[in-house]
Amino acid sequence: MDLENQNRVKDLAEKHGAENVVVVFGAAEAESAGLSAETVTNGDPTFAGPLAGVQLGLAVYHAVEPEFKEAVDSDVYEEQVSMMEMVLDVDEIIEEMTSIRNDFSKY
Amino acid sequence: MSKYKVVHYINQFFAGIGGEEKANIPPEMRDGVVGPGMALAAAFKDDMEIVATIICGDSYYAENMENAEATILEMVKSKSPDMFIAGPAFNAGRYGTACGAICKAVKDNLGIPVLTGMYVENPGADIFKKDLFIVETKNSAADMRKAIPKMAALAIKMAKGEELGSPSEENYIERGVRRNIFREKRGAERAVEMLVAKINDKPFVTEYPMPVFDHVAPAAALKDLKKAKIAVVTSGGIVPKGNPDHIESSSASKYGKYDLTGFDYLTDETHETAHGGYDPCYANSNPNRVLPVDVLRDLEKEGVIGELHKYFYTTVGNGTSVGNAVKFSKEYAQELLADGVDGVIMTST
Repeated sequence: MDLENQNRVKDLAEKHGAENVVVVFGAAEAESAGLSAETVTNGDPTFAGPLAGVQLGLAVYHAVEPEFKEAVDSDVYEEQVSMMEMVLDVDEIIEEMTSIRNDFSKY
Repeated sequence: MSKYKVVHYINQFFAGIGGEEKANIPPEMRDGVVGPGMALAAAFKDDMEIVATIICGDSYYAENMENAEATILEMVKSKSPDMFIAGPAFNAGRYGTACGAICKAVKDNLGIPVLTGMYVENPGADIFKKDLFIVETKNSAADMRKAIPKMAALAIKMAKGEELGSPSEENYIERGVRRNIFREKRGAERAVEMLVAKINDKPFVTEYPMPVFDHVAPAAALKDLKKAKIAVVTSGGIVPKGNPDHIESSSASKYGKYDLTGFDYLTDETHETAHGGYDPCYANSNPNRVLPVDVLRDLEKEGVIGELHKYFYTTVGNGTSVGNAVKFSKEYAQELLADGVDGVIMTST
């Protein structure tokens, strides 16, 4: 996750309280989604950005996960996400995100 | 027992200062840990302590080597550490080269153990692997989590002056050093066992790895250029406008083959570059600058060359692995041969 986005997430978490922030990812691969999710939960794994050593423990979901799908307007989901849902490896993404949530999410 | 003192070197990116736009910052020293030093410090536990971190921009180091080296040496000296660690640099070329160069300078001038880490294809690894212990990492910072414990374990051994094992045991890149050891079985027996394993498609480990030379013997000269069919191939990323096969802008996993029939030259309406490693403005406004179809057509008309081959092959050289590049060329070289091409002009950027 680039330095600017790390800063944005950090600022938002400070402003609204970490328990009130959910980060939704759209990365096309489980590995990259997982790296980003790890950054906003356990801290920047590359130790290069503002979240290095900062364990925000935010709630994290990918846009193709059922939790997100059920939480949003199904028409909008159909229009904006369903196409990608068909081409992405959804099971692998769910597995990766679940493990990050179990290991690092505090909320 | 007191902890061993370590000075750690990182670049502007890992210090969180910025990317390419901040690569010109001169060396500075901060007390304690910065960036990946946090992870190293955690892995050192009670054995070692990072007393200071030196940060230098990659471009600054590359452009002011002597000055930067002298300044950094003074900084390191002022902390009188027991060990110096740089990186890990993964596949960042200038960062890797800087890590290697500064490690060597510290080792040669201050006589303390030094350690760095990088991807085996990092140019810095090739230059410095004979002089230094370089922990082998993967090619991106995503490997930080795995790279740090390896570096920390080797660093602790080095600081304590313990005897180090082989590259595969200690995770460092081979330095080309041979050491005599005693084995229980004699050589002839081991050789026969290895041969039997090989014949049976079973795994075995050679005791005498051959060095890998990346030298390509030049082909024989063309006999008659006037009759020769010449093809043009590039790693500069020139593709038909819109990049129809989606060749990646870096770390390419494929190459393209495109028809030049009917093109006297390339224009910004017909072609562009997919390359993400240089400023594309000049290549996009005139793609002939990278894939010189215009002058090759001129030479064809003037009769200097027999003809320009109908297809050109193209990929993006930016960060593309040597393995992939070799695979691409093996494939298209066969096609070029089958098409009766006599000579190939390979352009890069």
